Amino acid sequence: MAKKNGDQEVKLTASLEDYLETILQLTRARPVARIKDIARARDVKAGSVSAAMKRLESLGLIRYERNEYIELTVEGARRAQKVLSRHLVLTSFFEEILDMPAGEAEAEACAMEHHLSDAAMDKFVRFFEFLRTCPGAPSNFLELFHGCRRLDGEAECGFHCSDPACIDDAWQKNRTTINALEHGQEGTVMHVGTAPAIRQRLLDMGILPGVKVKMERRAPGGDPVWIRIEGYQLSLRREEAEGVAVEV
Amino acid sequence: MLKKETPDPGAIRIAIAGQPNAGKTSLFNALTGSSRNVGNYPGVTVERRQGKYRFEGKQYDVVDLPGTYSLSSFSPEERVAQKELLDNMADVVVVVVDSTALTRSLVLLAQVIHLGANTVLALNMSDEAHAAGQFLDLDLMEELLGCPVVETEAHKRVGAQKLKSVIARAVEQPGEPRPPVLGERLSGALMSIESMLANTSVKREQRNWVACKLLLWDREFTPLVETQGEGGAEAVAQAAVLRKQIEEQTGEDISVFVAERYHGFAHGLVTETLRQRPRDDARVLSDAVDRVLVHRVLGLPFFLVVMYAIFWVTFTVGEHPMGWIENGFALLADLISANWHVDTTPALRSLVLDGVIAGVGGVVVFLPNIVLLFFGLALLEDTGYMARAAFLMDRLMHRFGLHGKSFLPMLTGFGCTVPGIMATRTLENERDRLVTMLVLPLMSCGARLPIWMLLVPAFFAPSMRAPMLGIIYLFGVVLALTLALLLRKTVLKGEEAPFVMELPPYRVPTLRAMLTKMMERSWLYIRKAGTVILGISILMWFVTSYPKADAHDIDAQIAADRATSQEEKGSIVAALNLKESFAGRLSIAIEPVFKPLGFDWKLVMGMIGSFAAKEVFVAQMGIVHSLGESGGRSESLREDLSRNYSSLAGVSLILFLLIATPCMATVAVTRRESGKWKWAALQFFGLTVLAYFISLVVFQGGLLLGFG
Repeated sequence: MAKKNGDQEVKLTASLEDYLETILQLTRARPVARIKDIARARDVKAGSVSAAMKRLESLGLIRYERNEYIELTVEGARRAQKVLSRHLVLTSFFEEILDMPAGEAEAEACAMEHHLSDAAMDKFVRFFEFLRTCPGAPSNFLELFHGCRRLDGEAECGFHCSDPACIDDAWQKNRTTINALEHGQEGTVMHVGTAPAIRQRLLDMGILPGVKVKMERRAPGGDPVWIRIEGYQLSLRREEAEGVAVEV
Repeated sequence: MLKKETPDPGAIRIAIAGQPNAGKTSLFNALTGSSRNVGNYPGVTVERRQGKYRFEGKQYDVVDLPGTYSLSSFSPEERVAQKELLDNMADVVVVVVDSTALTRSLVLLAQVIHLGANTVLALNMSDEAHAAGQFLDLDLMEELLGCPVVETEAHKRVGAQKLKSVIARAVEQPGEPRPPVLGERLSGALMSIESMLANTSVKREQRNWVACKLLLWDREFTPLVETQGEGGAEAVAQAAVLRKQIEEQTGEDISVFVAERYHGFAHGLVTETLRQRPRDDARVLSDAVDRVLVHRVLGLPFFLVVMYAIFWVTFTVGEHPMGWIENGFALLADLISANWHVDTTPALRSLVLDGVIAGVGGVVVFLPNIVLLFFGLALLEDTGYMARAAFLMDRLMHRFGLHGKSFLPMLTGFGCTVPGIMATRTLENERDRLVTMLVLPLMSCGARLPIWMLLVPAFFAPSMRAPMLGIIYLFGVVLALTLALLLRKTVLKGEEAPFVMELPPYRVPTLRAMLTKMMERSWLYIRKAGTVILGISILMWFVTSYPKADAHDIDAQIAADRATSQEEKGSIVAALNLKESFAGRLSIAIEPVFKPLGFDWKLVMGMIGSFAAKEVFVAQMGIVHSLGESGGRSESLREDLSRNYSSLAGVSLILFLLIATPCMATVAVTRRESGKWKWAALQFFGLTVLAYFISLVVFQGGLLLGFG
């Protein structure tokens, strides 16, 4: 099931991930970032920044209108946070545990953060975060960590783990997208995250967090899908259905 | 040429808003009867319907807003509806909702109220809701909303009178719609933004709404307000801060957060006023039908049968009335020519016979197809099968940048491009509509069949003829799909419009609703496209009739040919006149341009003629054919063609005729349906240039490879 989490998200290129990270850092200082700030921070031309921004906007990760301000959406902030925290964790892992010089650690982290597979990276990050930050971790923490990774909840974990990564994973166990629902299967909408225009239409049609959807059928070839929601029925294209996370 | 809309300054202005499929247009028809005017909003393909009615001695002007699910600013429909509501604040806004999907529909009501309109709520399809066992406390609903509520069954015109009197009351005593309760956090944020809008030109009653738009980072409002001085910029900045705050506190995207508040309001309203819940099995029958009609295996065959039936009715059944119309006009022409001697005012006689009568005939002849097709479309739409058809076909069509609903218009194109283009109305999205419209002429239409019947046997051996005909049709389809994809990537690129589509339960359509739709379309065609077609017909008549050939030349030619029979003389006169006409001169002048494609001026002449109507090519070729150098005229046109042109030139010619210059009726209808000459011009010149290059490559390539 853990693999499915990876499928839900559109894989971003390393450069787009870096842009998200930059926007996050810039918007910490003030509410919005501007193209030229981003260009300066990443030392690239404004033109290539706008192209990347259009792409990110179409993925529903930022808001970017003709006025040049840019701001992260909730989903964008989440993704950016993820990249940034990986970066920080990796850097400190190289520095603290492997005792590498700061510059080298930084460079290694930069290369690794994009190229490790999602699953491997997540495990690694969680492991390291666990080592460093889990305050109540007892001495047999390794066993506990494995217990936590099995996602069987806190009872088997043996202690209350407040690490968001840990909780997140347990919570995401039953998470999938509308598109992945099987015939007749029902799910509760958790998150609606696609390009702004499509998201607005989905919301207008009543696809909101907490609403129950049921997969009725698929068109020949599996696309579009036909769902039932609160007494009426809708048809969505595959890419629209993939943008809606549901919990089964 | 077009009837100018004359808004009565003293009239009361009513706007009808509603979601698609809520029965908005039926309600509009029920209110206005037959007095309506259908046009386009300037610059977009969004339809604008306007009508009027009198009630208790007062005049009411009604405008039917485009159907939208909400008042956001993503689609042209939404922008138009919102603009109409904000800028031309109507005296009363009637919000039509689908009673069988109340919560979702009431979101739009909440937004219209929020926008500050004097609102009346029409609970449409109330019969269906009652049949499902759903009953509401209307008095309580009126009280909670602060605006009048009426139940209607628009398709049966039930409730229209009641609605009229409620509207009249609402005009005299505007209700006090209570602003929707959107929760403390949102309301607080809106008030704080609103206060900064005080120094801008935003109207007072609309400020709260605009504040909400700013909070949502609306792509229309944000740049607009930002330029409105200090206050505007401040409000935008404040909205950014609050948005961030709300998102951080709730962990939700702002658009989700706001949508949830609106839905919460609608949901609360329904819960409070619901006296009896609808039975869960209300859709059981419809669902059972769906299990068969969109069945994994049976769905597609059934779909194809339905499509074929519509095609068959439109064109095969339509052939008969078309024949009557053609005969009728021929009869009329005979009658006139018999009673109007050739020598009395010959120019006027020719204008009437060959220009006006042929032109009007050319307009009317499409009517049977259009009437029948739109009856079929109305049937598909009103029963609800259209949405299923789109569901089944979308995957295939979407690959080429088209929409599931593009299928039927394109199929219709095999019969005739004109009704096909008119059928693109069924597509909700502007870009889908334009792409479908622009590539539609590539579907080889029925009028091109006589051309293929002439050319294919002329250039191909008997065993090759059937496959060639198949290849022609297939090539058109492949090119249309490729071009559609290309258009999506270039001229019509942009963010993909949402497909998300409602699948309403099957309904039994009313004959009246279908007839109304049918008549409206047909009338629209005659009035708007017909006038353009007639105009071009007369122009075509002129360029092919003037100037006349010198009588001396004709005598000389006839003498040289030693023509004996009266008939032969007549055809030589016709041919020489055509050669001397502007069209003939033009063909000769541009012959060098078409030489590399393997065409001579006679073929070019035929193509110019085919602009009037594709099949005219055959007739024109028949006329110029009699201009042969040899005396022996016994050979048929077909033999003449195969003797004078190589097979390679034949292929080049077929390709050119398939792709190039849509006929004038197509141009006129494209102009009318797309709302802009720009698109008609793009279609016309784009296809012609494309045809030129394809024919050029084929002909020159063929020569290099040693064919021909």
